[in-house]
Amino acid sequence: MFSNTEKIARPARLDRDRGLVDAARRDPACFDALYRKYLAQVYSYAFYELRDHHAAEDATERVFMQALTGLPRFEERADSFADVRGAQKAADEIPADASTFRIWLFRIARNVVSNERRRDRRRPVASLEHATGLAAADDTFETAAAREAGSAAWQAVARLPEDRRRAVVLRFVDEMSTAEIAEVMGRSEGAIRVLLHRALRSVAADLRARLS
Amino acid sequence: MLGGSSRDARRTERYLDGLMDAEERGATEAPMDLDLDRAVLYAARELRAGLVRVHPSFRFEEGLAARLAQAAGATPGTPNEQPAQVFGSIAPFRSRRAIAPAGPAAHSGRTTARDALATLAASRRLSLTSRPSRPLVVGGVGVASAAISIGAVYVAWRWSRASQTPMVRAARAARFGRAYAPGHGRRAAVLHGILGVMS
Repeated sequence: MFSNTEKIARPARLDRDRGLVDAARRDPACFDALYRKYLAQVYSYAFYELRDHHAAEDATERVFMQALTGLPRFEERADSFADVRGAQKAADEIPADASTFRIWLFRIARNVVSNERRRDRRRPVASLEHATGLAAADDTFETAAAREAGSAAWQAVARLPEDRRRAVVLRFVDEMSTAEIAEVMGRSEGAIRVLLHRALRSVAADLRARLS
Repeated sequence: MLGGSSRDARRTERYLDGLMDAEERGATEAPMDLDLDRAVLYAARELRAGLVRVHPSFRFEEGLAARLAQAAGATPGTPNEQPAQVFGSIAPFRSRRAIAPAGPAAHSGRTTARDALATLAASRRLSLTSRPSRPLVVGGVGVASAAISIGAVYVAWRWSRASQTPMVRAARAARFGRAYAPGHGRRAAVLHGILGVMS
C-alpha cells in the first residue's frame, strides 16, 4: 500500500513543448511559436472567466508577457504527475501528451485572472453588450445564432461557484485532463473529479429549470 | 473502498474522456457507463456543444505578437549560447542573440582591417537563421536596378543612332580613318563602318 507521500518510480516523460521551450530560452524571439500555439486557449480561459472581450485581451497580454519574462525560471517537471497527488494514479493513466509548460502557463493565467476579478469586484465595469443583453453592431447572423445557442450553457456556467466554473472551463474549453486541472488549480485529482461531477449536476438542474 | 460520490465522479470522468476522444476521432457517440447519471450526461453534451473555444481578433493577435517580439528583444537568451569571442558589431535582424559584444575597436571608434575580417568571420560562424539577411536583399535590388538603368540608356542611345543612314556612317568612318594613323586606324575605321552598317 502506498502512503500519500510516496512516489511511484516510472520513466520520466518528456514535455511535449520541450523543443519550443528550449528554443525560446536560447532565443526569446522563438517564444512566438509558443504564443501562437496557446493564444486561443489562454484567451478563451480569460474570456470565460472575465466575460468581457477587452478584459480578456488585457489578461491574455499580461499572461504572455509574464511567461516571456519568466521563462528562464520555468522548470520542466517530467515527473510532475508522479508527485504526492499522482501517487495513487497508475502510470498508464498519466496523460501522454501532458505539458508542464501549459500547466505553468495556465497557473500564470489563473493568477492574472484572479487579480483582474479582484480588481473588478472593487471597481465593477461591464461591457455594453453584456449590460444590455444586446448583440454587438458588427454581429453577423451566424455569430448571433451561435451566441443564442451557446448562451444557455454560458449562463449556466456563469452561475457556478468560482472553483467549479474554472474546472468546467479548463475541462471543456481548454480540453485539459483531470490531472492537468489539478496541477493548474493546486488541488488533488479526486477533488477536481468531484468538483466537475457536481458542476455538471448543477448545470443540468439549471438548464432544466430554464427549459421548464 | 470508494464512496458513492467518488464512484460517480470517476464515471463522469471516464465519460468526459470518452466524449473528448470521440470528438477527436470524429465519432458521433461516446462510450458511456449505463449507471452514469442522466443529468450529468445531458449537461456534459450541452456544455460540449455550447462552450466553444474563442479566438481573439487578428489585429489583437498580431499586435501582441509585435509587442512580445519587442519585449523578446530586451530579454537576453541563455548566456552560454552566445559566441564567446566575437569582435565588431553585427546588426541583428531576427533576434537579439545575434548581437555580438562590442570589441575593442568599437570602443575606440576606429575600424581596422583585422576588425573587419573578424566581423566577417563572426558572421560566418552564426547560423543561417540568425545571420542578418536584409543587406543581401537590398544589394540584390540595387544590382537589378542598376542593370535596368544601363539597359534603358543603351536602348535610348541605339534609337538615337538608328536614324542615321548608311551613307552618313560611311562618311564618318572615312573621316575617322583620315584622322587616325595609316594602317591600323584605317582598318579600325573600316571595321567600325562595317559594324555600324550591320547593326
